[in-house]
Amino acid sequence: MKSNSKLLIAVFTAAILVVSFVAMPWMTQAGMGKVAVVLDVGGRGDLSFNDMGFKGTDEAAADFGLQMVEIQSASASDYLPNVRTAARSGQFDLIIAVGFLLTDAVATVAKEFPKQKFMIIDMVVDLPNVMSIVFNENEGSALVGALAAMVAAHYGYPNVGAVLGIEIPVLYHFEAGFRFGIDWGNKRYKEIMGRDADVGLLYTYTGTFSDIAKGKAATEAMLAQGAGLVYNVAGPLGIGDLQAIAEHLNRKGKKAGPPFMIGVDANQDWMGDGHRVLASMLKRVDNGCYNAVKAVVDGNFKGGIVVMGLKTKGVAMSKAGDLDTFMEFGIGAGEITGKDKSTIKKNWTEMRSDIPRSIWNALDDLERAIVSGRIIVPTANTLEEMQAVRARYPLTK
Amino acid sequence: MNIDFFWGIFIGSLHAMVPITITGTGETIGESAGLFNIGLEGILLLSAMTGALGAEAGGALVGLIVGAATGFTIGLIFGLICTYFRGVQLIGGVGINLFSAGMVAFWLIHLGVPGHHAVAEESRMVDISTPYGSLSPLIFVAIALPIIVYFILFRTRLGLKIRAVGENPQAADVAGIKVNLTRLFSTAVGASLTGLAGAYISVDWIGSVTKEISAGRGFIALATVVFSGLNPLLVLLGGFIFGFFDNLAVWIATMPAVQKVVPWQFVAMAPYVVTLLIVAGVIGRVRFPAAMGIPYERE
Amino acid sequence: MAGRGSVFWGRTEELRKTVIAGIIGFAVGAVIIFLYGYSPVTAFGALFSGAFGDLYSISESLANAVPLILTALTFAIGFRGGMFNIGAEGQLYLGALAAVTVTLFRLPSAVSFALSLIFAALAGAIWSLPVALLKATRGVHEVISTIMLNWISHFLSFYLIAKILVDPLRGEKTVSIAEGSRFALLVPGTSLSYSLIISIVLAIVIFILLWRTVIGFDIRAMGHNELAATYAGIVKWKIILFVFISGGVTAGIAGAVHVMGRPPTYAVYSGMPAINGLGFEGLAVAMIGRNHPIGIIFAALFFGGLLAGGRTMQIFAQVPLEMVRVVEGIVVLFLAIPELMRLFPFLNKLKTSNLFKARASE
Repeated sequence: MKSNSKLLIAVFTAAILVVSFVAMPWMTQAGMGKVAVVLDVGGRGDLSFNDMGFKGTDEAAADFGLQMVEIQSASASDYLPNVRTAARSGQFDLIIAVGFLLTDAVATVAKEFPKQKFMIIDMVVDLPNVMSIVFNENEGSALVGALAAMVAAHYGYPNVGAVLGIEIPVLYHFEAGFRFGIDWGNKRYKEIMGRDADVGLLYTYTGTFSDIAKGKAATEAMLAQGAGLVYNVAGPLGIGDLQAIAEHLNRKGKKAGPPFMIGVDANQDWMGDGHRVLASMLKRVDNGCYNAVKAVVDGNFKGGIVVMGLKTKGVAMSKAGDLDTFMEFGIGAGEITGKDKSTIKKNWTEMRSDIPRSIWNALDDLERAIVSGRIIVPTANTLEEMQAVRARYPLTK
Repeated sequence: MNIDFFWGIFIGSLHAMVPITITGTGETIGESAGLFNIGLEGILLLSAMTGALGAEAGGALVGLIVGAATGFTIGLIFGLICTYFRGVQLIGGVGINLFSAGMVAFWLIHLGVPGHHAVAEESRMVDISTPYGSLSPLIFVAIALPIIVYFILFRTRLGLKIRAVGENPQAADVAGIKVNLTRLFSTAVGASLTGLAGAYISVDWIGSVTKEISAGRGFIALATVVFSGLNPLLVLLGGFIFGFFDNLAVWIATMPAVQKVVPWQFVAMAPYVVTLLIVAGVIGRVRFPAAMGIPYERE
Repeated sequence: MAGRGSVFWGRTEELRKTVIAGIIGFAVGAVIIFLYGYSPVTAFGALFSGAFGDLYSISESLANAVPLILTALTFAIGFRGGMFNIGAEGQLYLGALAAVTVTLFRLPSAVSFALSLIFAALAGAIWSLPVALLKATRGVHEVISTIMLNWISHFLSFYLIAKILVDPLRGEKTVSIAEGSRFALLVPGTSLSYSLIISIVLAIVIFILLWRTVIGFDIRAMGHNELAATYAGIVKWKIILFVFISGGVTAGIAGAVHVMGRPPTYAVYSGMPAINGLGFEGLAVAMIGRNHPIGIIFAALFFGGLLAGGRTMQIFAQVPLEMVRVVEGIVVLFLAIPELMRLFPFLNKLKTSNLFKARASE
């Protein structure tokens, strides 16, 4: 027995050593143009942020004949080695880092490999070989906030809700904009309809981007406190939020909202059969990624900051045009089938047309005002700033 | 805040209780026989996935059965490793967790958008609607099971066999009980209950599968089993207490009145602090079967 | 089988069994990889070269192993004492945060460095005290108390990171450890820092503690046979206290060496995404290392290698990260079976002596 195990171990060790050293040079050979997408620990499947990043890069790779390599991170400790290993290989025309958690990794590696091109989303890394794409989520959130307030007032709900994930600066952008929007919506509703709106905000940070049950429970709690719309700012938790809304509607024997959910990042309007998600705050991470790859392919890649806000179509409130594109998204996820499309479209159109024209016009006004710079939507990057915004727009009853 | 609010919390708690109680009851059977399965988390995850697939193929009930079958199979493998192969139970359990995490995440890639898979509405369990909230039939199962298992474990010969094998396998062997077979059977049945709980999560409660859908509930169930001292009735109680406070914490964190006074992180801690206090104050000493964790070897 | 080197051979029997189990596990993993349509050769080639192929890869594997050695020690000490200490997770969060807290005081570098480690150890020890006390006085089983305290630490950490230790310029993380108080990189251009030395030193210390001191003997005696140990005069509550506190120390330091040694951030992010899971991975490492410090070092290296190799599998063989988990799981499952060789009787028929005989006759 002992001699057998000796042999086995010897053979195995030899095999590992041979394979390891032989495989090494092969890891640095050049091939067709490649683009790397490094994801943070959230990973794919959120139907929002990370999925959008993947989608945009995937499309760009397909359109420009590049190979896309997806690199997931098992833990935050992987960020630096992931980015570095990709850079070291010299095989990638562009390394895209999806999410601000990857900031330090990109900053470090970009210095080590100044010829390697990088793109990072949601943070600024001030180096010549890094394109930093930031989004004005506060602007988009202001739009949906105004919508939420006015719609809640229209249907007679005293509150709107926001279910958030982990308390981080990016989410502060959402919360600040949303608050501003609600406040604006309240005032504007009074102007248009002559009645007081005074819609309040219920919000909670669930502390997770993955425990869907918490999203469901939080939404249930908000619905019980009279929320007419719930803004999902916690990625996949939207699934739980929608569940709670569906059950709530079921109890009342209704199929369509109100109450409604407001989707985030991707257009999630198609969820809930098209009549439970009133609108979504689009964060076009996919466009950001697509444009970055295109810039590299076209040869005009520049380091620096790219701001994607309402003006530059980086953020938007979902409209009819986006619905089709994102229904494809949903079909891809296996959530809806091709034949559902027309039903969803019909429901969605009904849902939207039930809202008075004057409210939609008001939103167009707000959008124009923000784009022209007449209205500046507040934002927050630190707890202090967030608390200041909370103090300015308390929205409590 | 009205009576609806409280009913909402109560019903939410019942739903949250189900996976913990059912899993805990199953593990009680296994531990009574002497096998400590730390792989509950993995089994929950895996059967959530298979249960979802089963439901889409043949409806909610099929989904639940598939989930239970998945649990049974894993339990069988684990049991074989730990009885006839004299494996180390802790390692086996850890292996199950790792394998399941990887397998589920991997399958999710192949089924639509990676990382998430929603169960179509038609395949979902039909809940009983009440004016206060929808109740899943599995809530009643979760209440009945611990009672049934208690009866079996403490009032039948089968239960006596199981407990004997966990307490003193040598004596049981001498008395003619097939030790390893009993252990294998107990752990497989126990794991099938965990499988059922996993399927409940995807087919009924949340209606979706993500790679982290089990969210630590397997370990909470483990803690509940310890809390119960291997008494299934206490598993029911522990599951409810935990489900209640867990749910309550999320609900009251949304109330502005609470937010002014207590940061949400401390509200979130509440279920765990409460459980700890109850255990420290009321339960105290807990006894495990003497031969738990040790592979049985005939001498 | 007597003969040259047989004594050494006997000593390493545990190690050999473990290695064989690992080999078989990899073989099964290769089959599964193949069934899913990936080439096992390419995949494993990438895996192994990413883990051990060059200095860069080896450094990454070692860097991954550093905290795992420490959290594994926490569990192992408990196991040797007959207890089930899975509280490393909660303790290491607080250890990391304690180290960050010291940085806030802006002390001279060397002082800050030393104090960070000391306070981290203290934090871990303090967090393990309730477990020890509850067990010693009320007989509360440590499984419950550690799981509960892990979660309480989880949320407490959220609070500390967001409100107290937060970096004023970057709200998603705590302040970073001051540059002068960090562990320098052992191999530049990698993630490996001198914190490796701390892990190895602590492993040796624990070895000496458990096998060369009286208290260590008492602990192991209590773990083997509580009744006999008590009869021999060993006081249970003292053992409980000692085991959990030393476990808390190693866990706390695990958090500290991560935040002080792992580039690029040297801080803790909200949600603890970098140190999440280190406690439970430590459990696996401890069990595979058979709860012995030397075994733990090797097992940690193995796990660290798998993680590092998983990266290259993704990048260069396009095998998804999840597959690495699957292979890990299978290997671990097989590692659970110590007597694996017994199950494969055909392997016994392969007598090496016959092979050599055949050679000689040619």
